[in-house]
Amino acid sequence: MLVLEDLRFGYGRDALPYRFSMTAPRGAVTAISGASGSGKSTLLDLIAGFLTPEAGRLTMDGVDLVPLPPEARPLSILFQSDALFDHLSAEQNVALGLPRARQGERETIRAALGEVGLGHLDARKAAALSGGERQRVALARTLLRDRPLLLLDEPFSALDDETRGSVRALVQRLTIERNWATLLVSHNRDDVEAIAKRRYRLSERVLAED
Amino acid sequence: MIPASPISPRHLPHRPLRRATGAGIGIAIALLVALLLVAILMAARDGTPTRISPGTILSLLRMTLVQASLTTILSLIIGIALAWALDRLRFPGRSLLVGLFASAIVTPGMVVAFGVLAVWGRAGWINGGLMALGLPRIEFPVFGLAGIVFAHVILDAAFCARILLGRLEAIPEGRLKTGRSLGLSPLQRFRLIDWPAIRGTLPGLGAIVFLLAFTSFPIVLMLGGGPANQTFEVAIYSAVRLDFDLRGAVILALIQIALCGTIIIGASALAPIPAAISGGRDAQLWPEAGMARLLQWLVLALGALGFGLPLLSVLVDGLTQGLPALLARPQFWQAMLTSMAIGLVSAALTLALALGLGMGRAAMGSRIGRLAVTAPAYAYLAVPAVVLSLGFFLLVRQAGIAPGLAAPVVVVIANALLALPFAIATLGPPLTAIAERQGRLIRSLGLSGTLQWLRVEWPLLGRDTGLVFALAFCFSLGDLGVVALFGTQDFQTLPLLMLRALGAYRTNDAAAIAAVMLMGTIIAFVVLPRLAERLVHARA
Repeated sequence: MLVLEDLRFGYGRDALPYRFSMTAPRGAVTAISGASGSGKSTLLDLIAGFLTPEAGRLTMDGVDLVPLPPEARPLSILFQSDALFDHLSAEQNVALGLPRARQGERETIRAALGEVGLGHLDARKAAALSGGERQRVALARTLLRDRPLLLLDEPFSALDDETRGSVRALVQRLTIERNWATLLVSHNRDDVEAIAKRRYRLSERVLAED
Repeated sequence: MIPASPISPRHLPHRPLRRATGAGIGIAIALLVALLLVAILMAARDGTPTRISPGTILSLLRMTLVQASLTTILSLIIGIALAWALDRLRFPGRSLLVGLFASAIVTPGMVVAFGVLAVWGRAGWINGGLMALGLPRIEFPVFGLAGIVFAHVILDAAFCARILLGRLEAIPEGRLKTGRSLGLSPLQRFRLIDWPAIRGTLPGLGAIVFLLAFTSFPIVLMLGGGPANQTFEVAIYSAVRLDFDLRGAVILALIQIALCGTIIIGASALAPIPAAISGGRDAQLWPEAGMARLLQWLVLALGALGFGLPLLSVLVDGLTQGLPALLARPQFWQAMLTSMAIGLVSAALTLALALGLGMGRAAMGSRIGRLAVTAPAYAYLAVPAVVLSLGFFLLVRQAGIAPGLAAPVVVVIANALLALPFAIATLGPPLTAIAERQGRLIRSLGLSGTLQWLRVEWPLLGRDTGLVFALAFCFSLGDLGVVALFGTQDFQTLPLLMLRALGAYRTNDAAAIAAVMLMGTIIAFVVLPRLAERLVHARA
């Protein structure tokens, strides 16, 4: 379980700090919503390790994450854009989810692509994939990384309604099957209502249960 | 009706005066290009014998191509390494170093050549240090091909590093965060994230460096060490000033124009290089450790020493050895005033022409119209300074005017035209973007052209306007190519005074002049864009 206990962060000395307290259990999607500029990305950056909190606790399954650099944290991130390297094929992008010594294991990679319904697109360059396909490839990579915490930063924003529904369902299925604690940051009410078991809202720099 | 292209005249503010001004400037420049070419071609038809043989041309071609190719390859490799190190490291004084690298494009070539001699020459700092330690002197190959390439690389690698750093700093944060969370190694990071971001820039950047080295004049003149290491530019200068072989100079100029034109046409198909670079990322999202970090510091230290040491030596030697004596010479003050006046007037002319062309281009509703307005300005990329100067020289002679009399006007116009392609590349795209993005709003509000400039364009372009003025001023301040053919005892600029001081073995005078030119360049390049930005804020 991901636990934030009065985690605080402020931009500059004079700025009022953000305060975050929440829990995100394994095997479920927890949603964070809030207006633009309310601090949703700041929260993700703190959890991922791109920002250092000023105070408070941040743990995953009891392990303190604060001293760990981003690459050592037990998590995968999926952004709305920039989740893939455009000049690499789908297969090469997914391979980056494996440790370096295992990045040649094509069967494992193809199995992951197959699990997100893209087994036939392994050789296609990421730049040539549609928005929904790109998010599925990124999800296939998180499958191989198999870290217990999945951070999703507005992952469905650029998708049309039909694709949105299918990618959303895929996220929900993988979260349950893999027992991940999935944190979904979204300003879209439909997304939140469709898959989130627990909901939080960021308002006036404070995170509170919705 | 749906517009056929994204540029629709209905979306643009109605500006007939701007269109007419832009077209008028474009036509005037095109006519001047034609006149200069006719003057050169007419001189080529003159039947007087020339010393320029096919063997000389082949030898010049070989030397020019070899030094330009070596300069390009080394500058790109070192530029990539420096940009990589600067992107990764954060330290006090970083922005100063980045600013110094950015100023490489305007640092006068003869100042750098002088700095190379002051550090690596027979009596330079390195040998001075060795002798102080009781060690024997080392003969570094500062003259000839090695010296020329070394001096070029000092300037061009720093220029490449600044451009490529801009590309690396433009990598989206999301991509870096994804890469870091995936635990990519430094090598994987370079291959997967950095290389795709910079590789598209390399061909265009390489073409610019090649062209700069191909048309280099002062560095080759000072470090060439004899006829065996001449480029076309130096050979043209020698033919006019030393051999009085005007027909030979004209033949060489025509070959030079043809070669530069070919390079530019080839380069125009490549990705453009941003002329103005915005501020970079302050925070480091993904610092590296271990061997990679060690290598970054090593690259940065070598790069800073390679670029900074010659410039530092120019300042130290110039200010400590020759300055008091130089300040007592009336010729220095005369040259200083001439250089300042020519620099300021030609910079103002460049700015006026660039704004006229840029605004006219932005007001045009068709792509062909836009191309036609600015194409003549870019023609001067194909006409190096000495060739341009030769064209004016022939034109003035054919008109029966003494070159000495026409010199101030010609030098101002020639310097302004040489800086114009850079000025258009800086101001043209943002002016067009404003017209396209905000044209409908400007039109619906009924803003006049003056209000459009005062309320919309000037506040957005203040810093770029200052940058263009600074670029043009610095180009003019360091120019030797144009003034070399027109200079007289009564009309000399600082670079010409320095060249004459070197020719008369007055090294201390030359050192002091180099220091004054370097300080002028750095001050102008740093101060003028900031001054323009302050003016914008003051008005706001």
